[in-house]
Amino acid sequence: MAMITPPPGSSLPADVATPVDLAEPDGATHLTAVEAEELGLAPAVKPRSLLRRGWEVFAENKLALASLGVVLFIVLFCFVGPLFYHTDQVHTNLQQVLCPPSGSHLLGCDNVGYDQLGRLMVGGQTSLEVGVAAAIVAVLFGTVYGAVSGFIGGVADSFLMRVVDAGLSIPYITLIIILSVAFHPTKTVMIFVIAVFYWLGVSRLIRGETLTLRTREYVQAVKVIGGRSRRAVIRHILPNAIGTIIVQATFAVADSIIILASLGFLGLGVQAPATDWGSMLSGGLNYLQSSQSYWWLIYPAGIAIILTCIAVNFIGDALRDAFETRLQRR
Amino acid sequence: MAPLLEIEDLRTHIRLRSGVVHAVDGVTLHVDEGETLGIVGESGCGKTMTALSIMNLLPVGGHIVGGSIRLDGTTISDLDHEAMRRIRGNDIGMVFQDPLTSLNPTMTVGKQIAEAVLLHRPVTKEQAYDRAAEVLDLVGLPRPKERLGEYPHQFSGGMRQRVMIAMALACEPKLLIADEPTTALDVTIQKQILELIDDLRRRLRMSVILVTHDLGVIAGRADRVAVMYAGKIVETTGTGTLFVNPRHPYTEALFEALPEKAAETREKLYSIPGAPPDLVHPPVGCRFAPRCRYAADRCRAEEPPLAGDSFGHDFACFFPVGEEERTGARRSVVTDRLPEPSADGSAGGEVQLVTEHLVKDFPVTSGALLQRRIGAVSAVADVSFEIRRGETFGLVGESGCGKTTIGRLIVGLEKPTSGAIRFGDADLTRSRGREYRRQRRHIQYMFQDAYASLDPRMRAEAILQEPLVVQGVRSRSERQQRVAEMLDHVGLPPGAIERYPHEFSGGQRQRLGFARALMLSPDLIVADEPVSALDVSIQAQILNMMRNLQRELGLTYLFISHDLAVVRYVSTQIGVMYLGKLVEIGPADQVYLRPAHPYTKGLLDSAPVADPEAERAKVRAGVTGELPSAIHPPSGCRFRTRCPLAEEICAEVEPPMRAFPGSGHLAACHFPLQPVLADSPATAVQAP
Amino acid sequence: MIGYLIRRFGQALIVLFFVTVITLALVHVFPGGPIRALLGPRATAQQVATENQQYGFDRPFYVQYAKWVWQILHGNLGFSLKLNQSVASLMTQDLPKTIVLVALGTIVSLVFGVPLGMYQAVKRYTVGDYVLTGVSFLGYATPTFFVALLLVEWFAVDTHFFPPFAPQGSSLGQILAQPRALVLPVIAYSFVLYALWSRYMRSSVMDNLVQDYVRTARAKGASERRVLWGHIFRNSLISIVTLLGLSLPTLVAGAIFIEVVFNYPGMGLAFYTAALNDDIQVLLGFTVLATVATILGNLLADVSYAMLDPRVRYS
Repeated sequence: MAMITPPPGSSLPADVATPVDLAEPDGATHLTAVEAEELGLAPAVKPRSLLRRGWEVFAENKLALASLGVVLFIVLFCFVGPLFYHTDQVHTNLQQVLCPPSGSHLLGCDNVGYDQLGRLMVGGQTSLEVGVAAAIVAVLFGTVYGAVSGFIGGVADSFLMRVVDAGLSIPYITLIIILSVAFHPTKTVMIFVIAVFYWLGVSRLIRGETLTLRTREYVQAVKVIGGRSRRAVIRHILPNAIGTIIVQATFAVADSIIILASLGFLGLGVQAPATDWGSMLSGGLNYLQSSQSYWWLIYPAGIAIILTCIAVNFIGDALRDAFETRLQRR
Repeated sequence: MAPLLEIEDLRTHIRLRSGVVHAVDGVTLHVDEGETLGIVGESGCGKTMTALSIMNLLPVGGHIVGGSIRLDGTTISDLDHEAMRRIRGNDIGMVFQDPLTSLNPTMTVGKQIAEAVLLHRPVTKEQAYDRAAEVLDLVGLPRPKERLGEYPHQFSGGMRQRVMIAMALACEPKLLIADEPTTALDVTIQKQILELIDDLRRRLRMSVILVTHDLGVIAGRADRVAVMYAGKIVETTGTGTLFVNPRHPYTEALFEALPEKAAETREKLYSIPGAPPDLVHPPVGCRFAPRCRYAADRCRAEEPPLAGDSFGHDFACFFPVGEEERTGARRSVVTDRLPEPSADGSAGGEVQLVTEHLVKDFPVTSGALLQRRIGAVSAVADVSFEIRRGETFGLVGESGCGKTTIGRLIVGLEKPTSGAIRFGDADLTRSRGREYRRQRRHIQYMFQDAYASLDPRMRAEAILQEPLVVQGVRSRSERQQRVAEMLDHVGLPPGAIERYPHEFSGGQRQRLGFARALMLSPDLIVADEPVSALDVSIQAQILNMMRNLQRELGLTYLFISHDLAVVRYVSTQIGVMYLGKLVEIGPADQVYLRPAHPYTKGLLDSAPVADPEAERAKVRAGVTGELPSAIHPPSGCRFRTRCPLAEEICAEVEPPMRAFPGSGHLAACHFPLQPVLADSPATAVQAP
Repeated sequence: MIGYLIRRFGQALIVLFFVTVITLALVHVFPGGPIRALLGPRATAQQVATENQQYGFDRPFYVQYAKWVWQILHGNLGFSLKLNQSVASLMTQDLPKTIVLVALGTIVSLVFGVPLGMYQAVKRYTVGDYVLTGVSFLGYATPTFFVALLLVEWFAVDTHFFPPFAPQGSSLGQILAQPRALVLPVIAYSFVLYALWSRYMRSSVMDNLVQDYVRTARAKGASERRVLWGHIFRNSLISIVTLLGLSLPTLVAGAIFIEVVFNYPGMGLAFYTAALNDDIQVLLGFTVLATVATILGNLLADVSYAMLDPRVRYS
């Protein structure tokens, strides 16, 4: 989700757009599993691993499960679909320009004759691949940068974060448009273009997380028993930060898909005959003002974007719940 | 005369995700005009919910489902929103536990108090502000008119609580409900606030309901008491009677679990086994039966009614204390004494840990890119003491005194600004790297917040094995064996190794933390407030466990706490700290019975004890004033700004440590309360 | 407080420094070198010489930086060869129109977002809340340009309530004289922002509703209405004000896409046209402007927060 993060040194609260669930009021005490065992009361509940517990919380969220299904379907549609529905996505065919949906072209054709349904699949491949790859690259790099900065602290941390600040001060859209103009856009270039600035926001978040975790008592406890900093980071900080990282990566996928689509819409994304959902829509723009409605140029690609992003966002939300609730009593 | 407030068979339920909690299950009590009723109980007993039910301020999911509440004859439990609103803040005022979070941080104090007036009285804004100043004066805030325009964060903790009280009293309510009003405050401030409430009660002819877990507070301030357990009242009577003649086994057990009861004899504390029942599915029969020493079959089948003799002493028990007809064992005479080094400190092993002139300053910085140092908090200022093998050294003081920092310095979580820490022959402040890490084996730590000190993602087994892994114990079976051994020592079931920290209760987490501290077979354990967050009954369990293990494993303790009763119970030696300085040190009994430093005396006077007679006999003045800034501490003696004996010299010359009768009893004061030992080497400053 | 302001200002300057360095470095990133990029492939030797004299691309980086900053401070943000006008004059012409769009869109988004967010918090978990949450989620998942496309399709093409193009014209007066044509662009622009504010208000108000000070207010006898508007609203609003300051990158992006879809003759469309035409100078000039605006926005956000929150003001 588009999160607005304030610069460090500012007095603002760190992260803004997180929906909050009402805190449960203090009730009476409940016997814990261990107490029950102690007293020889209720039969001991078999301990479940945190992974299992997290999955259960996730599964409780029906919306998230449905979203998982939707994403799965979309992936299959895009990657397996072309095996069943053969179309030519390389050569234009000026004889079937703008043909409406029919038996041979289920979703019609676009302004240079490509079959829209087939294009939806191929475009989807690009959107998904770039989206996921950009998210992974950005989150990986941002995590390492932010974690190192947060853990080292001091002047180095200040400096590293000032650089991030600077990068974040330049409106994202202008940067990536400039980069797209400078370089010949291929899939790989697009991944780079998106990731090269997305990581900035991620690094800020992870740095904040690292700072918080660093002061936690269980990290300090490592020092008391004679352990080294390395152990504290690898065994305690990282596992507890994984949740944030994974949730960030999920939202990053949705964001990247939208960014790629926006660039494609402007004609600055991957070039024909390659396409993505956004580029498909730039065709639709040109025909908006005409008297006839070319709905098949607009709705399929747009709905594909929206559906995918909503589904991914729901999954991200549910993951966030799952990781948090692992730490509380349920 | 009819009582001011009558609660009859109140039932309050709270709907949670996991079920419905029967938080208050049939509570009947009354408050007469002008009296203070104390409601006391441990966490989860329903006392707070009862208080909130009176004004219908229940949290989300809470509903009054039965019973009635009458104020001055009128039923208020079934009023609609608007009518109830008119009562809140008007006829009934309420004060909450944490004054920092209970005040709106972005509204001036004057506006918040004036709001209370404007809500119920047809006055102008100006008049409301005048009243606000008036009421601030009433609660003892200096220069009230000036402070109207300030914000809550600009006040200290005690001042904020005064503001809260002022706000609750603005419309001169007939009843004041105070829910744990002093729990978040220092002991010396606590006394001031409790006295203030008492004072105001008399002056405004109010009634007060005092909800608390602290029996000492009840002893000193309540006229009548209601003891609650598991959503029900188990006993209610006049305060004096309760402490002298408790009839319900729970009340009796509570008293026996108090460390101050066993302070002189150092007996083992009675610890109530088990835990309070699950209130989502309340048990049949007497709720205390599973943990009661005297429980019989009848108790488990039938619920005893709250009834009593004609002296207004009610209790809910079939076999109350003090009657002949009783099954089960006679109450076990707790005479398990420890063969400890006697509390006058003469015996004791060789010196194990020495701190020499320890200083710790925390820099206060600001700056855009580079942090510039603009000042320093003097957390520990030249502290020296010794701990002997096998003894328990209690470090006591209020917030900001530096006791926690000293604990952290000793275990290596902080580096001293200057000074040395010696363990045996080794100077811990000088060693580095591997050698340093190996030395950590000898001194281990119990964190104040046990929950926060356990990695929530690790099972108990991994948590306990970690110290061994770090120190190079390679054999898995050896580690497992040791873990099993320690679990046994601390009284946790073997199945606990598979559990995650959140699956343990508060007391059990303390045990887990303690077990981890024991894993490396240390000589010295630094325990930072190990029982402060626990209920009295659980506290007793942990203290007993610590004592037993000390004897069994030959441990030495540095016991850090703000709770004087607990410290006296466990310690052989005591050190009293104030604002970074060690002001008094000596054998526990000496320091308690014959304190030499005025601050120590003030602390002892302020701390509430569970004995109504003693409370009434205490000198009115505990310690006045507020804690000065630690960034700019007072010159000379740091306590002089609050000391009744302060003279000019106290501001100019820092008092040296001087010896007093009783071996090793020292205090730093120009005008001590005890006669100085004749051959004490310090500069002889004579008291006038 | 003054000290805090000075420090924040100093921070902003440092960031500005880093940013300008990065922006200048960007020019070097272009394949073919900065001269190529700025002057196009058909630059004459004369033009190259002039450029080098002004900007020093044949000299070390720090010289370039100094010269470039010098130019900017003198109001020279570059020259568009394609349009044959200076970037600065282009901005003077087009920026006001964009500002009108942004201002209107932001106001509309606040007018709907803030109260609806509060409503959602008060009536949480009811049908109304779920419906509005759904709308917000749509706002997060839908690219701005697609919202614009849909609006045009539904309200201008399929039906004919509004014209499909935004008001045309080079002066501000001409733009404002066609309010009907402004409706769709403004709504499209405000949609994503609406999702942001309403989501934030909802979580912030929900957060505040369970705070201790709210319980105290109720204990004083305040009605729910008073609690909400007298206490909670103010506290949540403080954060919204500062959020506004931080949302500049989003505002800029929105402007570009809306202007492209609706053919609105503002700075965003100019930026897009420049991108299509490889008009690098315009791109850079606009980026510098947007960046300065963002930094200023951040600064304003912090300063206003410091002023509105007494805990920072009097610390």
